[in-house]
Amino acid sequence: MADVSLRGVRKSYGSLEVVHGVDLEIASGEFVVFVGPSGCGKSTLLRMIAGLEPISGGDISIGGKVVNDIPSPERGIAMVFQSYALYPHMSVYDNMAFGLKLAKTPKAEVDQRVREAARILQIEDYLDRMPKALSGGQRQRVAIGRAIVRNPRVFLFDEPLSNLDASLRAQTRIEIAKLHDTLDATMIYVTHDQVEAMTLADRIVVLNAGNIEQVGTPLELYSNPVNTFVAGFIASQRMNFLPVSPSVNHLTLPGNRLLTLSTTNLETVRTLGVRPEHLELATDASTAHLSGILSVIEQFGEYALAYVELPDGQLVTIKLDGAPDLTLHDTVHITIPPGVVHLFDDAGRALR
Amino acid sequence: MKNQANPWLTSNLLVLGLGMLPAAVLIGALLYFTAWAFAFSFTDLALVGKKSVEWSWVGLQNFERLFTRKGFLESLWTTVIFVFFSAIVGQSVLGFLLAALLRGTQSTLRSVVEVCIMLGWLLPDIVAAFLWSATTNQTGLINAIFVVPFGFKPINFINEYALPIVTIANIWKGTAWSYLLFSAALDSVSREVVEAAKVDGATPFQRIWLVQLPIIRPHIATNMLFITIWTFTYFPLIYAMTGGGPGTQTQTLAVFLYNQSFSRGNLGFGSAISVAMLVIVGLLSLVYLRMLREPK
Ligand SMILES: Nc1ncnc2c1ncn2[C@@H]1O[C@H](COP(=O)(O)OP(=O)(O)OP(=O)(O)O)[C@@H](O)[C@H]1O
Ligand SMILES: [Mg+2]
Repeated sequence: MADVSLRGVRKSYGSLEVVHGVDLEIASGEFVVFVGPSGCGKSTLLRMIAGLEPISGGDISIGGKVVNDIPSPERGIAMVFQSYALYPHMSVYDNMAFGLKLAKTPKAEVDQRVREAARILQIEDYLDRMPKALSGGQRQRVAIGRAIVRNPRVFLFDEPLSNLDASLRAQTRIEIAKLHDTLDATMIYVTHDQVEAMTLADRIVVLNAGNIEQVGTPLELYSNPVNTFVAGFIASQRMNFLPVSPSVNHLTLPGNRLLTLSTTNLETVRTLGVRPEHLELATDASTAHLSGILSVIEQFGEYALAYVELPDGQLVTIKLDGAPDLTLHDTVHITIPPGVVHLFDDAGRALR
Repeated sequence: MKNQANPWLTSNLLVLGLGMLPAAVLIGALLYFTAWAFAFSFTDLALVGKKSVEWSWVGLQNFERLFTRKGFLESLWTTVIFVFFSAIVGQSVLGFLLAALLRGTQSTLRSVVEVCIMLGWLLPDIVAAFLWSATTNQTGLINAIFVVPFGFKPINFINEYALPIVTIANIWKGTAWSYLLFSAALDSVSREVVEAAKVDGATPFQRIWLVQLPIIRPHIATNMLFITIWTFTYFPLIYAMTGGGPGTQTQTLAVFLYNQSFSRGNLGFGSAISVAMLVIVGLLSLVYLRMLREPK
């Protein structure tokens, strides 16, 4: 267990800077998830912590010690790669034992640690197999096992589940959560799957184009996103963003109806954000805030997503419980409950 | 196995026959020449003179001569040394080291080295042979730069150290192939696997020796197969540099075969030599093909 801290960490490839000064404190034993769109620098950041990528600026310290110039095996980290990166010519046992053998660990201890990790991950039966004789899920366990036997202070995961199918992914996700609970180690986990981020993280770090947009617990990010980027990125259904024209105590919505809010100082509001699960259907137009044509409905059984096209052409998503009985191309009326809206200024910054 | 042939082709025998014609001709020609060599290895056919028309069957006499007369076994030994040092040790190891070391280095250095070794490969054998002879003889460049200025007597390297010089020339000539093959092979090793080894604490040498090398083992076997066969039967460079001499010092089997068949005119004996070479190369190939198989 060790804390990790990044201070002004930068990374450039030639003249192209891809990470622009990241500051982040990760407490010992914390599970931190990096999320962000493809190419935002998640892997680069992780690889710099791992020591696989030289740092162009700033400091990274692990356990209070600056590790900028310390080679990766001495950083006390273990890394799980997206492609599993098992040694194809070694048995499962040898894959897990490789690092320990290189470190000249006594044979008995190697054996004990490999078997212990295999027990935790339930791969004891495969120890003699070659990686190519394993399924994707089994390979991923071996890769995690290889990390565990190193007994690292910090675990680094780079999209470890993205090569697994949906059900296996859900299952392995739960196992990683358990593993964090058992091992009590600091874990840094990169993903672009926000379900993984929401469910696994103690804290989520939202990255965009080489900058941190926001750091916080999953619920903080869900309820108080600092800008439209985070608001749009976190949660399974993307937030609806509506352009509004403000006056002192109300907002004019698309379709020219008014939304009155208790908040004062609405002058700078340009965008109203509201999550699909917070919108409600209204029975008639007089109480509704928005009206439009139901253009698509997706039924998931336990809930449904209705996509409503407003007169100006914008689509609004509503999440409805159960299996609502709606007819395609009918007019649908929507109310916006007052307590759930997010307000953003013209730069996309949250205003509440 | 599923029959994947085009139904139109399989139903039309004439088209099928025409389509197979080039392959059939090629295979026929190959078989014809092999059979020819095999058949005449049992005769006393000569290149010129009476025996070039009135040859007769001599049974296994030619093959007995391979082992009873001076020449064949000595040449075989010379060939083994030549193949071992120039192809297996030289080209293969050097090619691998270059490929491993130049990966991830600056592109300019890499380009320069690549161009240099490619030049050796692309230069025609005869030109290369002339260059090497001219460089290593009594008045050549090496003497002019490294020997004479230090007050030593010039040494006729190509005469005194014929086999080593020929071996070095062939290393220079053939390393490009191994380099290219190993570069491609190393590129196929996943970057993340190498990085995993790095995190596991493997030194650069251990990463190559314990991870990359075992992963590209099939490529190594393939490369060995190719260059052994090529070098075993390689002729022009040696012949143009030394003609097999001085004496028989650089007389590899290919040179011996040429000398026997065309200088001495013993086509029958020459055929026996070529059959023997075929057998040896065949056996070597079997060894390598076994190496190619995955370990259980
Ligand atoms: N070796 C490199 N040379 C130049 N640019 C690079 C290199 N590696 C990464 N980049 C750039 O750095 C940026 C960040 O890459 P990175 O791999 O960290 O993205 P990521 O957030 O992990 O994306 P993904 O979710 O697709 O894995 C990208 O714009 C990428 O093009
Ligand atoms: Mg990535």
